Amino acid sequence: MTAATVSLEPGQRFPDLDLPDHTHRRRRLSELAGGDPLALLFSRGWWCPKEQRHLREVTAAQSEFEVAYARIVVVSIDRPEVQSAFRAGLGARFAFLSDGDRVWMDRLGLLEETDTKHRPYRPAAFTLHPDLTIHAAYDGYWYWGRPTVEDLRQDMRAISRHVREDFRQ
Amino acid sequence: MRPPPRGAAQLSFDGRAVYAGGAGPGRRFMVDARCLDGGEPVRDAYAHVCALPEADASLEFDQPEIQQVRRDVLAWWIPLLGDALVCLTTLAIDESRYGGAITVTREPVAWSDDPFARIFPGCVLRTGLFSTVLPPPGPVLERYAGVAWPGGAF
Repeated sequence: MTAATVSLEPGQRFPDLDLPDHTHRRRRLSELAGGDPLALLFSRGWWCPKEQRHLREVTAAQSEFEVAYARIVVVSIDRPEVQSAFRAGLGARFAFLSDGDRVWMDRLGLLEETDTKHRPYRPAAFTLHPDLTIHAAYDGYWYWGRPTVEDLRQDMRAISRHVREDFRQ
Repeated sequence: MRPPPRGAAQLSFDGRAVYAGGAGPGRRFMVDARCLDGGEPVRDAYAHVCALPEADASLEFDQPEIQQVRRDVLAWWIPLLGDALVCLTTLAIDESRYGGAITVTREPVAWSDDPFARIFPGCVLRTGLFSTVLPPPGPVLERYAGVAWPGGAF
């Protein structure tokens, strides 16, 4: 893994990424969070069978995120038009951010070094508070390192309990 | 109609034109306030108003078809509109009732595909009332009663 210039440990603030979304619109991560807990997933790209499998599982959970006021954002090096097609194929309604120029990759230290052909993002995942404070970090280089939907559910519950003043046990 | 809650603004529609504020003719709705006060209005825009001027044309926001329309808007209507999109907002009658929606664009688009037109039929108007608002990434339901989707925040 490349050396990051920012710390991506729980308790640290995740950088407020500024990237085009799947429709080419410039978006900030904080704006996409919009005051809600956020699952931030870095993805190798549309071509990877592991990403296809994992994102299908996440997409199946999107209805739960939507009614629970939580967000999902995926970042990859795929171009917006490719992301848009992949997103449509998945049936996803959440946002994809495109870092085709890898402007954040070095700063985040998330280069997938063993794929020298695509030089994609390492499939890391983070669950974030609305202010982008990291709640939990996952390294999905090995597939079992990725957050399951149940992991995400538990993280969203913990974050919501912390940030929603009227959340009751 | 009561004063709009924080995050909402009033708009009226008489079947031929839309009017900002509560003093215009026709039926009154609450909209996402950012669409009307979010910055410099876009001149000569196209507004696809999927609503009826009759007072009894409404559904509950929680009806499954209203939920599904918003899912479709997030999934493919917004990507389909691309850079043409100026803003969109539902039209709230009160805390629980949906009266329609408006999609505003810079140029004519495939209005027949508008998911909101499945609920109430649409008509296209020229307008200079609306400001550019980044499209919502979610969720598919309103946050506070009376604040038209996608407006509002916790």
